[in-house]
Amino acid sequence: MPPKVKLVLPYGLMLAVSGWLYWVATRIDVDTGGRITPAAWPKAIIVFMALLCLYEIVKRLLSGTENRAQTTFLPDAEEVAEQEEKRGLAPVSRPWMLAGGIGLITLYVILVPFAGFFLSTVLFLAAFPLAGGFKRPVFAATLGIAGGFLLIVVFMRVAYISLPLGVGPFRDVSLGLMRLIGVT
Amino acid sequence: MEILGHLMGGFAAVFTPTNMLVMAIGLVLGMLIAVLPGLTLVMGVILALPFTYKMGVGPALVLLTAMYVSGTYGGAITAILFRIPGEPMDVPLLWDGYEMTRKGQAALALGWALLAALVAGLASSIVMVALTQPIAKIALSFSTPEFFAVVFFGLASVVTLSGSSVVNSLISLCVGLLIATVGVDAIYGAERFAFGLPFLQDGIEFLLVMVGAYGIGEVLTRMLEGFQGAQPATRDAQGRFITAFPKWAEMVKMKATFLRGTLTGLLVGVVPGAGATVSSFVAYGIESQYGKNGKALGTGAPEGIVTAKAAATASVGGAFIPLLAMGIPGSGATAIILAAFLLHGIQPGPQVFTHSPALIYLIFASVFVATVGKVILGYFAIKPLCRVLEAPEAVVSAFVVVFCFVGAFAQRNSLPDLYVMAAFGLIGFLFERYRFPLAPLVLGTILGPLAESNFMTTMVSYNNDWTVFFTRPVSGVILALSIAGLLWPVIRAMRESRRKNQTDGQTQAP
Repeated sequence: MPPKVKLVLPYGLMLAVSGWLYWVATRIDVDTGGRITPAAWPKAIIVFMALLCLYEIVKRLLSGTENRAQTTFLPDAEEVAEQEEKRGLAPVSRPWMLAGGIGLITLYVILVPFAGFFLSTVLFLAAFPLAGGFKRPVFAATLGIAGGFLLIVVFMRVAYISLPLGVGPFRDVSLGLMRLIGVT
Repeated sequence: MEILGHLMGGFAAVFTPTNMLVMAIGLVLGMLIAVLPGLTLVMGVILALPFTYKMGVGPALVLLTAMYVSGTYGGAITAILFRIPGEPMDVPLLWDGYEMTRKGQAALALGWALLAALVAGLASSIVMVALTQPIAKIALSFSTPEFFAVVFFGLASVVTLSGSSVVNSLISLCVGLLIATVGVDAIYGAERFAFGLPFLQDGIEFLLVMVGAYGIGEVLTRMLEGFQGAQPATRDAQGRFITAFPKWAEMVKMKATFLRGTLTGLLVGVVPGAGATVSSFVAYGIESQYGKNGKALGTGAPEGIVTAKAAATASVGGAFIPLLAMGIPGSGATAIILAAFLLHGIQPGPQVFTHSPALIYLIFASVFVATVGKVILGYFAIKPLCRVLEAPEAVVSAFVVVFCFVGAFAQRNSLPDLYVMAAFGLIGFLFERYRFPLAPLVLGTILGPLAESNFMTTMVSYNNDWTVFFTRPVSGVILALSIAGLLWPVIRAMRESRRKNQTDGQTQAP
């Protein structure tokens, strides 16, 4: 990706989203008898946001750098990172690990309504540490089962929180487990 | 006297067996969370929220308050002993605390930190008790333009105090304010940005934004960094895990530093969205500029530990003042406590002092008791707390994700809330990645409805005359201060850039 495009990409995206949201806001149609409309507040915010994005895009394109305006007190994140790097604490980047994590979290969200909280959580607790670089699969699997059971007890038995039971056979497993821990 | 009487009632309520048990659990959990590098204080309080759904409002508030208070100390231990800041607020402790450890003064460094936490904690609690009710009384006389101005001030402050780019902070705030407009509008009942989806018609709960952005977003950020935080615990230079208090004369010599740190923490804590981290950095900056021993900061000076820890601790008392007096959270953790209030059908603000004063004084008393409890725990539990560091971060993070899911789901038993929360997890991660600070986003979501309703009501009441915000003295002054606060960084950056250009021009001139 060309460096200048990379520099303005987040702001360009936000500008596009602002344009679309403004169009959606124009369709909020209520007769207010001449008083301020319910679309006025979001429209004002959207216009302000679009102007900010536009300002940042123009500024970055002209200067070719981020050229950030410093706020009053907090140190700049980049400066802190540079200091840490000098001290030998340079952060590493693991995009594949991140992709795995996002994938597992997405899968967990999708799985919970079907497989129920217990089974999905057992699988998630076993798989997520492995995706995060934990190198003891047997321990992870044991942790998944023990952790899932413990969480069911803590949430359903102690905190009385109702959690998804799943569908079909998965529901039967969840119900059996609830009977086992004394939740009726 | 009335306040003192209520406070005694608050202490009596805290010392019931249930509340003491909950307090003890909160203190331990808060300390553990602060010690673990992958977990932040706000995240920890979020994780505890599901357990409060079925609790009574009293124990729920005691639990969250204890976690909040205790969470401001634990990270100091790891920062001083192992150079691992458990919380962002503990970063300044690396510069002096760890330096003292390297000089073989780890126990003394811990002693200074503990002392600062105790003194600032108690002092800020006294100020909190003394000021909250009078401020709430003043707030009772406010009309909608004044309330709008106060909320605007909070939003403006969070912009200037978070992140390093004003534009990014403002964009983040706009996104938060827009999220708050989703659903049916309160005045006309018009549907906005719901796109025909039933779960969006009810609006997006700020809790989902917080849980997603702070919880899942932080896990993803740390995952990208390869979960580097967890390192095997090692002992300090002398192989000890103990705390040693400084001598009385040394403490007296440091009284100005204690005072500066505590006052800074209180003042910054009051500002919505600023919280312990900003307090800690600001106090450190002030101490390095105005402290007697300011130049020595960063080389293992106890002043650096005292001021940072005192400010972070005092910010707790400060953050409770706007929450309880006006219903405006002063920090991320108090935003969760606000959620706990709302979940139990109570809207914090000036009216609470009339309807449920016992609840307010229960919180006040909890802050006092938790401050003392935190110090006792911090003194005696260093060894087991350090052991916690050995837990693999990938495993801890897996549990964090599950707790976030339960927190998001259990509030309304709604599966779509899970998807919304996960989406905000990704948004939170992307915001962090591209340096859009999260605090304005979250505060915009929380304060957006309050800002909008006060703005709209004023406009309707005053026939669309927006000048009323500036012509009424109180709102006019507050708005002028807010605008000045917003413009200050921009003016400063322009001046710096001009100065830099001049210097460059002079060096290039023959």
